[in-house]
Order: sequence, then C-alpha cells, then structure tokens
Amino acid sequence: MTIVHLSLSNSSDLPFEWGWLKLNATIVYTWVVMALLVGVSMLVTRNLRPDVPPNRWRSTLEIIVKLIEDQVTEVSHLAVRPVTYFAGTLFLFIAVSNVLLIVPGFRPPTGSLSTTVALTLSVLVAVPLFSISHGGVRHYLRQFIEPTAWLLPFNILSEFSKAISLSIRLYGNVMSGAVIVAILLSVAPFFFPVVMEMLGLITGMIQAYIFAVLAAVYISSAMSDKQKAIKTRKRHE
Amino acid sequence: MSIDWITVAAQLVNFLLLIYLLKRFLYRPILDGIDAREAEIAKRMADATQARIIAEAAENNYKKLQAKHLAEQDTLLEQALEKTEAQRAQLLAETRAQLVQEQKDWQTYLEQERLDFIKRLQNAGAATLFALTRKAVHDLADEPLEHTIIRHVGKKLAPLEHTLVAAAGEHTSATVSTHHALPESVQAQLTQELNTLIPNVALSFTVHAEQAPGLVVQVGGVRVEWTIDSYMEEFEALLAENTSAVQLGHQGVSGQSHARKQPGSEHEH
Repeated sequence: MTIVHLSLSNSSDLPFEWGWLKLNATIVYTWVVMALLVGVSMLVTRNLRPDVPPNRWRSTLEIIVKLIEDQVTEVSHLAVRPVTYFAGTLFLFIAVSNVLLIVPGFRPPTGSLSTTVALTLSVLVAVPLFSISHGGVRHYLRQFIEPTAWLLPFNILSEFSKAISLSIRLYGNVMSGAVIVAILLSVAPFFFPVVMEMLGLITGMIQAYIFAVLAAVYISSAMSDKQKAIKTRKRHE
Repeated sequence: MSIDWITVAAQLVNFLLLIYLLKRFLYRPILDGIDAREAEIAKRMADATQARIIAEAAENNYKKLQAKHLAEQDTLLEQALEKTEAQRAQLLAETRAQLVQEQKDWQTYLEQERLDFIKRLQNAGAATLFALTRKAVHDLADEPLEHTIIRHVGKKLAPLEHTLVAAAGEHTSATVSTHHALPESVQAQLTQELNTLIPNVALSFTVHAEQAPGLVVQVGGVRVEWTIDSYMEEFEALLAENTSAVQLGHQGVSGQSHARKQPGSEHEH
C-alpha cells in the first residue's frame, strides 16, 4: 500500500478503500500537513538545551511560537498557555495547509468543508471547556442570560452562527481561490494563475490568522467578563 | 459542497492529535526553552548586577584604602621629614658643639703649647742668663758664682740675727740646700759665718737639682732663701711681657686683616 499510487481527492472522493478502511484525500493531506509540522518540530527541538545557543531553525520556530503567544495574549488579555496551544495549532495547521497550495498536486485539507466544520466544532467545544475550566459551569451558563434572560435564544443562536461563519468563511476563501485558479488556467494558462497563486498564499495566511484570532477571541470572551468580551470582540471584528 | 461526518470526526481526532503532538514537540520545548533562557538571562543579569555592586563596593573600599594609605604615607613622610629635620638639627648642634669643643681644645692646646714654649723659653733664658752670669763672675773674679753668693750671704743674714736665733730656739741643727754640691771649704766658711749668728747649731748640706742656684737655709720654722729666683722671676716677667706684646701685635694685625675682609664678605652675599 503506497500513497503514491492513490488518486487523491476531497472528502467527496473515495480514492482509497481497503476492506473496511476508507481514506479520502482530505484525511491523507491532513496527515501530510501533520507529519510536516510534527516532523519539523521534532527535528528542531530534539536536542533543545538551555545552555546551548539556539540555531537558526530553532530561532525561527521561537519567533513563530512567540509571535503566536504574543498575539493570543494581546487578543485575549490572558496569558493562558492552553489557549496558545489551541489557537496556535489552528493557525499553523491552516497556514501550512494553505501555503502548500503552491505544491503541484497538493489539495489543501482546509478546502474541504468537512475539515472546516471539524475545526469549527473544535472551537465550539473548546469555548465552553475553557470557560468552564476557568470560571466554572455557572460562569459559562450565566453568559447566555446576560444582560437579560430574554436574550437566551439569541445568545444560543449567536453561538451557532459563530460556528457557521467560521467554517463557511474558511471553506469559502480556500475553495474560491482554488476555483478562481482553475478558471484562470482555462482562460490564461500562463500569467494569471501565478498571480492568483501568490494572492492565494497571502489570502491563506490571512485566513489562518483570522480563524486563529477569532477562536482566541471567542475563548477569551467566554473566559473573561461579558462586557469586557463584547468590547474585545468589537475591537477585533 | 457536502459534509462527510466521518471525515469531520476523523479531522477532529486529527486536530486534537495535532494539538497534543505540537504541544509535546513544539510549544512546550520552545516556550520552556525561552522561559529557561529568560530565567538564565535574568539570573545572569542579577549576578552581573550583584557582581557590579560587589565590584563597586570593592572599588570604593579600594579607593578608601588607597586614600588611607596615601594619607598614612603623607603622615609617615611628614614624620620622617620631621624626624630627619630633628636629627639633622641635632647632628648640626652636635657638630657645632663638637667643633666648638675642638676649637676650645685646640685653643687650649695652643695655649698650653704657648705656655710650654714660654716656660721652655724662660728656662732656657734663665739657664743662659745664669750660665752667662756664672761665666762672667768666673772670668772676672776667678771664683764660682756659688762661692760669691755664699760669701756674701753672711752680710745679708746679719740683719736677721734675732729672727734666726728665735727660730732656732732649741734646735741644734739647720739645713742648707743648694743646686750644686758645695766644696768643703765653702761649707766650712758658711758654717763658720752662720755659727757666729746662731751658735751651737750644726749645719747639714743637701743638694736639690730642681732648686734655683743659690742656697736655702732652713732653721726651725724659718726659711731663708738666697737664690737667683727673684732675678729669674723678673726675667720671666720681662720675657712674658715682651712675648705678650708680640702676641698682641700679631692679634692686632690679624684682627685688622679680618676687619678688612668683612666688607668684602658682605658684598659677596
């Protein structure tokens, strides 16, 4: 069994089927991104010691991780490392997936609605978990009846709208880029696809940043005071 | 655009697994490394600050010690200078005193030499005078000077007869001492002349080389001298007067020359 002979496609495709095991292109490319991230991290941090001066790879990773931590701390006003792990993983996964769009034959898993829904569901689960772990169940449930109990349905609807907007935004941007590239390839196969690929890189990085920052905002707003969270959300949206 | 919920579940698991793996291999090593490095840097800065404080304290202490040592050095130098100055003054005083003493000794020595020279000169002069007198008497009168003196002493002792008799009292002997031994004829003549004045007194003759020429008669508690000492004393007085005049003349010349030198020495200053 080698992946090389597979015809990869999105989750709607069934490129590989071995008995009960069915793998689609989204999962395989997700594993590729995961292997790339974890492999690079393991290679760089395998001989990490405080008394050894950092090399350029370690310095690069330190810059990235510190940038993520600073951004999360700046957005959430909370120096909670689990939030950094969560939002940072979202950013790195989405960013690497989108950057690998330039690799011929690679289909970013973020272009699959199943992936964006999964990421959105993880955010929706993470928000109450972080809120409950930080302030307790009552603190989390109280947020749905603030500022008044009459807003309970709207608050619940707001939570679901968050999930829908997150997932559709990411999926739409990535898929739209791919669709535009495909259309331009048929119209002008030499020049415009290159420009669109470059724009796609920028858009992919921006989408990764937006998704991670919004996740951090949602989590931090659920962990902090409601009024303060509203102000923070307005400022970032 | 469709949602495969199995894929969604698989992606959820993949994402949670990715979170764990990145936390395990990326975030914690990197952030812990950064924290450890920050702590190490903070520790080194604190150590450096502490070391700087210690160094500044040591520098201040060193400066204080240096200032103290300089002050002590100045004090010791001043004390040494004062001690040296005192020793110098003492040595100068001792040297001056020694010079004064040596000058005094030298002057004493010179005075003694002068006196000795005068004494020798007097003795030589007296001896020469006595020899000349003896020679003149011998040449002119053909007899020794002592005989002439003794022959003449009888006339000189006659006015002293009562004094000599009273002095002889119960004594039965008298002593005659001379510079040279007297011939027996002269002794007999002198015995005869004295017995006419103080009878029953036996004379004994003795010789004293240090005695002046002439004779000395000792009768009881009376001593009669008939020598050339008075002439010699007069000669010595005259000689001393003449030598003093010569010495004063020399001193006057040297004092004038010294007085003439004074203005020149003042101009030299």
